[in-house]
Amino acid sequence: MKHTFLNFKTITLFTAIGLMTACTSDDSDGIEAPTQPEQSERWITVTGARMGTNPADGNGGTLIYAISNEDAKNPETVVDVFNNGFVAPSNRTARLQASEDGNTIFNISYAGDTGGNYTKYTVEGGKDFMPTGSEISIAEYVGTAPRWIKLFDGDQTGSAVYVSTEHQVDDNDTPDDVTDDTYLRTEAKVGVVTLDLVNSSIKNFKEVSVPLNAEEEAAGYYFSRVDMPTLNAAGDKLYISGRLSKVDPTTLESDSGYEILGSKTIVLDYPTLANPKVITSTVGHGNTNGYRSINSFEYNGSVYQANQGDPNGSHILKIGANNEYDDSYVFSLDAALGLEDTYIVAWRPTSHGKAIIAYEHAGSATGSAGKTQGFFALADLNSKTATKLDAIPSSDDLYLYQYQGFAIYENEVYLTVAPVGQDGNIYVVDTETGDVTQGAQLINATGSHFIGTF
Amino acid sequence: MFATKTYTSFLLLILSFSVFSQNGDIYGKVKFDNNDIVLGAYVSIKGDRFLKETATGIDGEFLFKSVPYGNYTIEIHSLNAKQKIIQVLVDSNKKSLKITLPYNNLQDLDQVLVKTKTEKRKTEEKGFAVNVIETKEASLRNIQTNELLNTTVGVKIRQNGGLGSHVQYSLNGLSGNSIRIFIDGIPISMYGSSFSLNSIPPSMIKNIEVYKGVIPGHLADDALGGAINIVLHKGTKTNLNASVSYGSFNTIQTNLNGLYRFDDSGFTVKASIFNNYSDNDYKVWGGQIKDIAQDGSQTPITARRFYDAYRSTGGMAQIGFTDVTWADQFLVGFTASEDYKEIQHGAFVTLHPYYGRFSETEAKLANLTYQKKDLFIEGFDVNVTGLYGKRSTVVNDTVAAAYTWAGEKQIRFDGEALNYTWGSQQEGGPTLTTTNRNVASIRTGLAYAINEHHKILLNHIYSGLDRDDSDEMQSLLENTFKQTSDLYKNIYSLSYELNLLEDKLKLNLFGKHYRQKVKNTKPVFNSDGTEVIDEIFESDKDYNGYGFAASYGILPNIMLLTSAEKAIRLPSETEVFGDVAGNVEANLNVKPEISKNYNIGFRFGKFKINKHAFTLSTTLFSRNIEDLIGFGANADRIVESSDELVQYENFDEGTTSQGIEAEINYSYNNNLGINFNFSRLTLESRNRAGNIVDIPNTPLFTINSGLRYSIKNFLQEKSRLNLFYNTYFTDEFSYIMSQGTNVGGLDAFLVPTQFIQDFGLSYTFPKENFVISFDAKNIFNEAAYDNRSVQKPGRAFYLKLNYIINKF
Repeated sequence: MKHTFLNFKTITLFTAIGLMTACTSDDSDGIEAPTQPEQSERWITVTGARMGTNPADGNGGTLIYAISNEDAKNPETVVDVFNNGFVAPSNRTARLQASEDGNTIFNISYAGDTGGNYTKYTVEGGKDFMPTGSEISIAEYVGTAPRWIKLFDGDQTGSAVYVSTEHQVDDNDTPDDVTDDTYLRTEAKVGVVTLDLVNSSIKNFKEVSVPLNAEEEAAGYYFSRVDMPTLNAAGDKLYISGRLSKVDPTTLESDSGYEILGSKTIVLDYPTLANPKVITSTVGHGNTNGYRSINSFEYNGSVYQANQGDPNGSHILKIGANNEYDDSYVFSLDAALGLEDTYIVAWRPTSHGKAIIAYEHAGSATGSAGKTQGFFALADLNSKTATKLDAIPSSDDLYLYQYQGFAIYENEVYLTVAPVGQDGNIYVVDTETGDVTQGAQLINATGSHFIGTF
Repeated sequence: MFATKTYTSFLLLILSFSVFSQNGDIYGKVKFDNNDIVLGAYVSIKGDRFLKETATGIDGEFLFKSVPYGNYTIEIHSLNAKQKIIQVLVDSNKKSLKITLPYNNLQDLDQVLVKTKTEKRKTEEKGFAVNVIETKEASLRNIQTNELLNTTVGVKIRQNGGLGSHVQYSLNGLSGNSIRIFIDGIPISMYGSSFSLNSIPPSMIKNIEVYKGVIPGHLADDALGGAINIVLHKGTKTNLNASVSYGSFNTIQTNLNGLYRFDDSGFTVKASIFNNYSDNDYKVWGGQIKDIAQDGSQTPITARRFYDAYRSTGGMAQIGFTDVTWADQFLVGFTASEDYKEIQHGAFVTLHPYYGRFSETEAKLANLTYQKKDLFIEGFDVNVTGLYGKRSTVVNDTVAAAYTWAGEKQIRFDGEALNYTWGSQQEGGPTLTTTNRNVASIRTGLAYAINEHHKILLNHIYSGLDRDDSDEMQSLLENTFKQTSDLYKNIYSLSYELNLLEDKLKLNLFGKHYRQKVKNTKPVFNSDGTEVIDEIFESDKDYNGYGFAASYGILPNIMLLTSAEKAIRLPSETEVFGDVAGNVEANLNVKPEISKNYNIGFRFGKFKINKHAFTLSTTLFSRNIEDLIGFGANADRIVESSDELVQYENFDEGTTSQGIEAEINYSYNNNLGINFNFSRLTLESRNRAGNIVDIPNTPLFTINSGLRYSIKNFLQEKSRLNLFYNTYFTDEFSYIMSQGTNVGGLDAFLVPTQFIQDFGLSYTFPKENFVISFDAKNIFNEAAYDNRSVQKPGRAFYLKLNYIINKF
C-alpha cells in the first residue's frame, strides 16, 4: 500500500521532470538530458525478446538494457527495453551470460554470419554496452549455433559443446542387399571447447566418443544433443548434459513414443577434456540439457542438475563429489509442489542452497499467445522442498520457456515477470526470507516477452 | 461514334462501287527525295463523302480503284517523312501520280505509328503488368541474363555472389516460391539449375516476359507473385551466330547458335551450344572476412574468394520442319546441360569459408515443339511444347579441414591443422547426395479467334516430378527407408480475349483450374523382412483461380492498363507430407496460400517533339497474400526438446506488398537513349498477434538508369559505336525487423545504400557481321550486396567478340 502511494507521487514528479527535460533538450544546444543512471552497486541487465512470426517466439531480436539494482527494486523506474535497449548482434535469440558482478555481458552470437563469435561488453548503464577485448570465434570447434556456458570459476572460462552422429550398419558384406543389413549403433562424437574469457583465446579442444551401453545402443539410443558444461567442485571434472534420441533399428528412421531412459551426463577430465564416461541416474529420466538457461550448478561440493521431459515430472538431480549420480538424493518437483508433470524451464540456486525455479506443469494454461503458462517457485536444495511464489502475479500468458538469466545480488534474485505482449514488473525475491518485492515497471511490445536479468 | 463513321464510309464505299460511270483509278508511286523507295507508308484519299485507305507496296506503289470523278485530298504518312498532303482532281479513268517525300530521320507520325507496333509493345499493351525485355542488344555485350532482368522496373535479383551463384528473384517485393520461372512456358524446375537464367546466354533468348502479379492463362502455374517467361528464338531464317567473351576472374563465355533451313522442303536444323566458366575469385572485405591466427585472434583482411569456380555447358539441338503447310514449327530435339559449382560459403559469409563443398547438376531432356496458325480453319492456332527426361543433382561435402579467408588451412590453438568435428564444410556432417528426378512436362495451347474482336484460348500444362534420393555417406539401410514425395500438376486455363473500339479496348478474362497430386512413397520391410516394399500415399487437391487484364486507349498515346488475379500457391510436397528427418509430419489438409493481386497503370507516349521522343509508364500495385503456411506456435520448442513431430498448417497471417513503379524512356534523334526507372514499395505482414509489421531483409527502393549513345560511321563508313552507362541504386535496408524508436546496435544489421555504375561500349563493323564489345562493371569498385554479408564482385572488365552470318 505504501508503495502504491509513493508510486503515484513519483510518477507525477517523473512525468513533470520528463516533460521539462523534453522541452529543455529541444531548446538547448545539444546538451543531453541525464538519462543514464548513476554508477551502480550491481547492474541488472533486463533482457527482452521481440516477437518474430509468432507471439513469444523471440525471433525478432534480443534487446538488453541495464539499470542499477536500486532502480530495479524501485517500482517507479520504468524500463522500456524494446524502445530503448541495445540489440544484441545475433541472428537468432542471442545466448547471453553475465559476469558474477554483472559488469560484463558475454555474448556468443547464435547462427547467421557472426554465429559462434564471442564478444564481451562492459555494462555502462542503459543501452550502452561497450565492446571490450578482441573477438574470438568458437564456430570452427563447435559450429555457428553453439551451446555454451560460462563456467563458475570466477568468470575465467567458458565452454561450448557440439555433437555429431553417424549411424553404423553392418551390411553383411553384401553392399547392394538391404535385407540382410543390421544396425549396430550410432556413434556420437562430442566436441568440447574451453575458452579463456579474460584473454579471449581458445584454451583447449577435444573430440570424444560417448558410447552408451550395448543394450541401449542396440535399441537405437544415442546422444542427439549436448549442452551445459559444468565444472565440479574440485575443478577436475567437466559434466556435459545431454538428450537422447532413438532410431528404429530396422529402418533407421527417427523413432518417437519410445521408453525414456534414466537421465545421463557425460563426465570428462578437466582441463584435459579426456576420459569420457557416461553416468546414468536411476532417480530421474529424460533430458538434462535444458534449453536456453544454465541447467546445472555447483553447490556445496556437489552439482545439482534439473532434468526435463521426465515422465514423472522434473527432478533436481545430484551428482556427488565422486562424480556419480547420488541416487539417494530424490528431489521431485511434482512431490514438492503437489503437482503433476512439472517441467523445469529454467532455474538458479543461490550460494545458500535456496533456488528459484521457473516451471510449467500439467495444470498450466495455454495463454492467448498459444504458449504454456509458467510459474516461479522458491526451492531449498537441502530440504528438497519448494513453494510456489504466490506473490508473483500469475497470468495464462506468463511464458517462461525461453527464460535465460537470473541476476543474483546479496541472495536476492531479480526476475522479469510480464505476460506475453503485456507490461509487467521486475520482482525481487529474497531467497532467505521468501519475501517478494515488486520492482521496476517493464514496458512490453506486442507479442514480445522478457527472458530474465543478468 | 467510331462505329458510325466506319459504317458511313463503308456505305459510301459500296455506293462508290455501284456507280459504274465516271469513275477512275488512281495509281501512285512514292519515293523519298534521296530516291529511296517509301514502303509501307499510309496513304488515304478523302473526298466529298468518300474515304479510302491503303499502304504502299514494296516498290512504293499504291492504287485506289474506282474513285468517282471529283476533287480529292491524298495524305501520305511515312515513318521517315513528314506527312504530305496533295490535292488531285480525278477526271479520267486512269490517273498516275509521282510523289516525293522529303527524307527525314525523325519519326513524325501519330496514329499511324500504332500500326507498326512491335511484338514487345503488343504484349505490353494487353493490360497485364508486364515488361518485355528484348535481349538483342544485350546479347552482343558482356551481360548476363540475370543482369538484364535486374535492370527491369519492379524486378530485383538477389544473387549470392558471382557467376553461377544462387539467385533469388523478386517481383514487386514477393519472392521465393511466389515467383515461377518458365522457359517457353515450361516450368524451369523441369530443366534444373544447369539450364537456367544463370547459364543460358542472352543470344539464345528472343525475349523475356516478366508478368507481375497477374499471369495470363498461357503461363499457368501456381505463382502468387508473378512469372518470368524466357522465350527462346523461334526464327526460321538461316543464320549462324558465334560469340566469345573473356574478362575478370578468368571468366570465359562462349556460345554458338545456328539454324539452317532448306527452303524447298522446309526441313530445318537448329542448334545452340554454350559454355560458361568463371573462377569467381573476386576480392571481398569487411564483415567476417578475417584471418585467424593460431591463438584464435582475428585480423580483418581483403581476401580473394578461393573456392567459387563455376562451369556450365549445355546445348539444344532440334530438327524438323518450319513454315510448311502443316506446321509453322514442328521440331523434335534434345537438350543436354550440366554444371559444376564450388560453394564458398553457406547462406551467410561467416569467418569460415568452405573449401571442398560443391554441387554438380545435369539434365538430359527430349523436347518437342509444334506450332501452327490457322490449323484446319482460319483463326485456330495450336501450340504444343513438351519435354521429357532426367535431371540429377549431386552435392558433395566430405572435406573436414577448416580454412580461413586467407585461403590457408586453419591452425588449432595447439598448432595442429583444424578439422571440423562434423567432418564436412557445412555443419551437419559429410554428405554425398544424389538426387535423381524424372521430369515430364507438356504444355498445350489452343486459340480460336472467332473474329477480330473475340478470341478464346484454352491452355493446359502438365508437369510431373518423380524424385529419388540417396546419400553415399549413409548406409544403404538409411538410404532405403527414406521417404520420397513426387509431385504432379495439371493446370487448365480458359481465357477470353475481347478487342473492341478499333483496338482501343482490350480485355482478357481468364480462369485457372489447378489439380495437384502428391505421391508419398514410404519404403517398408515386408512382414518377414525379406523384401522392401513401398507404401504409397496420395493426396489429390484441386483449386480455382481467376483474373482479368484490360487496357483502354484513352487517347492514341495515353493508355490505361489494369489487371487483377486471385492467385494461389499450392502446398509443396514437404508441406503436405512432411519430412521425417526434420520432425515434420504430414498434414493432408493444408490449403494453398491465396493472393489477391491488383495492378493499375498508365502508359503515356510515345510523345515526339522534333527530335525528342519519350514514353512514360507507371504502375501502382497491390498484393495481398493470405492463409500463409507455417509451423504452429510451439513448433520450435517441440523440435528442440523432444522427438515429437510438428506439421505445417495455414495461419491467419498475411503479407501485403504495395507500391509504385515508373519508367521513363527518352530518345533523341535515334542515337541518344536514356532509360530511368524506379520502384518503391512497402512489404508488411500481419503477424499472428494481429499486428502489422514490416518484413525485414527486403530492398524497398531501387532506381536503375541507363544511357546509350550511338555514333554512326565511327572510324569507318557504315560502322556504329554504341556507348553505354548504367547505374543501379538500392536503398539501405535492415536484415532484422524494425525495432523500437530509440534502440542501439542496429548498425550491425544494416545492408548499406548502394550505387553501382557500369560502363560499356560496342562497335559494329561496317558489314554488320562482326561486333566487338567491352564492358567495365562496378567501375568504382563499390562493395555491393544483395544479401547481408554476401559481397558481390567488385570492378571487372570483359571483352566480347560476336560473329553473325545471316546468309550462306
